[in-house]
This record gives sequence, structure tokens and C-alpha cells, in this order.
Amino acid sequence: MPDIIVETVLDERKDFLMLTLLNSKEGLKKKLETSEIHRPGLALGGFLERFPSKRTQVLGQTEMEYLNSLSKEKLVESLETVFNADIPWMIISKNITPPNEMLALADRKKTAIFASKLTTTELISRLMSYLDTRFAPTVTIHGTLVDVYGVGLLYTGKSGVGKSECALDLVERGHRLVADDVIKITRKSANYIVGMASELLGQHMEVRGIGIIDIGALFGIRAVRLQKRIEVEVRLQYWEDSAHYERLGIEDKYTTVLGVEIPLVTIPVSPGKNITVISEVIAMNHMLKVYGEHSAQDFSRRLTERLARSNTIQDYLEADLE
Amino acid sequence: MIEKTVTVTNKLGLHARPSAKVVQTATSFKSEVFLIKGEMTINAKSMLGVIALAAEFGSKLLLRVEGEDEKDAARTLIRLFKNKFRDENGE
Repeated sequence: MPDIIVETVLDERKDFLMLTLLNSKEGLKKKLETSEIHRPGLALGGFLERFPSKRTQVLGQTEMEYLNSLSKEKLVESLETVFNADIPWMIISKNITPPNEMLALADRKKTAIFASKLTTTELISRLMSYLDTRFAPTVTIHGTLVDVYGVGLLYTGKSGVGKSECALDLVERGHRLVADDVIKITRKSANYIVGMASELLGQHMEVRGIGIIDIGALFGIRAVRLQKRIEVEVRLQYWEDSAHYERLGIEDKYTTVLGVEIPLVTIPVSPGKNITVISEVIAMNHMLKVYGEHSAQDFSRRLTERLARSNTIQDYLEADLE
Repeated sequence: MIEKTVTVTNKLGLHARPSAKVVQTATSFKSEVFLIKGEMTINAKSMLGVIALAAEFGSKLLLRVEGEDEKDAARTLIRLFKNKFRDENGE
């Protein structure tokens, strides 16, 4: 991931965060190392143990009023403790003008101070949504991502195994393509990943024998989707007689993408096999499981119960001498 | 597995036609072929994958070949990059 410096945030989200730079531009090159945010109230009050100085520092009305209540001497002392800790940057909400001592100190420490028009809560909420996405781990993989009945199916498998053709068939049946061939996956939180197309490719697809086609232009807006949570990986494999394929589905298999566990279904591909219908079933079956119904497990339970019951009837009949 | 850094040596970069050449060459081998640029790993047998690299003139890519004919594949692909994506006949 390329480094994120203060200037990057300014370039990308100046209007969204309603930022105005209050001091010299020297601080713009400072690097942000984490997406986390801190309100340094306690640090300004002199308590510096566990002060998370690497975070974005946000000052609200409370902190500013506290600073204004201090004598000049105390004010400088308090600010120095924070700025000496080498903070990456500081934002003051509600466009409050900071005391001149603060700007002078920040200039000396080559740290940028911004004012934002937003209230503290709104500012923190916007900062978090932006920084979390910006710092989220990403990976680019080879595969195809389709939204089938609202379930994100990620197709993987060797080149030429039929991922794109399967996606094309699904689009024809009313499902939506997210990306073909190159998928950018981002971990949005500890337990979910989202896939999207590379900026350059969009929803283009390559079909052997035809070449590059644009799914959005061919099938219209209903056939494409910009991003989708990835819920199941469907691994397409050439059929091998010796390989073992799942026959019961009582135990779910999982794979890990960017540290997030998602269900994995391996489908053998052979001529004449309709992967499209199987895909729809995979999506629906996944939804059933999410809603608490596990067909394979339920069936297995019913079978066990039935077998136990037949035994009781058998015993009864055998013992019946009437 | 063979890994080798290759450089894009033609002025226009890896545009559609040279990409097609790379894909065609990679596909002619049984081995799995990957091209890596930064955090992007793409399958060199995929047309859109190679295009998505948007590899401009002078950019360096890591070529990774894995499979039974990896030596042949790596040698041929490295030569293709050196020859500015023209094959031996100059096409």
C-alpha cells in the first residue's frame, strides 16, 4: 500500500471533511500510520501515559475552551506535551480559531493544523469512514465476482475453466456482474470482505472467440454492480475421476481470504454440466443456511431419527405375541 | 517455480496488442504464469488481467512461472519482453 500522508487526505477528501489549513504547508508531508482517531483531552491536561500520539488528533469545543482557560504559560506547557510527541496532524472542529501560540508551536514542529466546519461527532464519523477504507488491507486476485440473488459468489479456478462463460450465463438469467478476471478485494472489517473491479476494467469481460465485451453496455445497468460483499467462494475444477467431490455437504468447508473465513464450494466442471443452475443453488443454499436452515444436516438428522424409530417399532412387533 | 523481473521496453507500454501477445504466449504453455506489479497479482493467461496491470514504458514486473514446462515458458516470455513484444519473425 502506498504511504498515506496528510496531503493525500487533503487531495481526496478536503470538501467532504470541510478542511482549511491554518498554518504552514510544511506539515503536509507527514505520514499517517493508523486509521485511528484520538481526542487528546487528557494529554492536554498533563496525563501522558498511554497517549496514542500516532493517531489523528481531533480537538472539539471542550478541549478548546479548556485551553483558552489556561494562562499563557500553562497553555504553552500543555500544548508542548502534545506536540513534542510528534503527532501526525490535528483537526479542530466547528471552525474554532486556535490561539496563536498553538499555530506557532505547530509550525516549529512541522505539524499541520486544520479547522473543520463540521461538529466533532460528524467530523469523527466522516474521518473514520474514510480512514478505515483507506487503511483496509486489499489484495488483487484472478477470478470472477457475480451477485447471484444478492449473494456474492467469487469464482476461482484456472484460466479457461469457464468462469467468464458462467458469469455471462448468470447475467443472461438476470444476475449482476461485479468484476471479471481481476478482482480487487478489500477487508472492510474483521469479518467481511468486499470485491470490486479494477478501475481500468470496470465490467468488461473477455470471452474466448469474441474478445473484449462491455457487460454494462450490452445488458444495461441491471446487469452490473460496482461492489459486492463476497460471501461464498466457488472453486471450478476440471473433472478428475480420481478426485473426491463432496456428496453429502453435512460439514461445511471454508477458505480464508485476507484473514476472513468464507464458505468454499468446489465444483467439478465437465462438458455439458450446467454450472449456472448449480451457482443459483449455491447462492440459495447459502441464504438458507444464513436463515438457519441447513438442508444436508437437517436431512441427516431426520434419517437418524427415522432409523431409531424403525428399531422401536421392530422391537415392539417382535415382542408382540398376540 | 521460477521468478524473474521483466521490464516493459516498448514506448507505448503494455497496451492491448502486446498484452494479447503475452497472453497468447503464456497460454501456449501448461505452466501457471503470473505477473506481479505492486500489490497486484494477475494471471498472465487472462487478457483483461494483463491489460489491468496498465504497465507503462519502463515499468518492472515480476514474472512467476510454475509447472512442468516452466523453464521453456519463462525463457520464451523473458525473450518476448526483451524483444518489445515482437516474436522471432518480427511481427
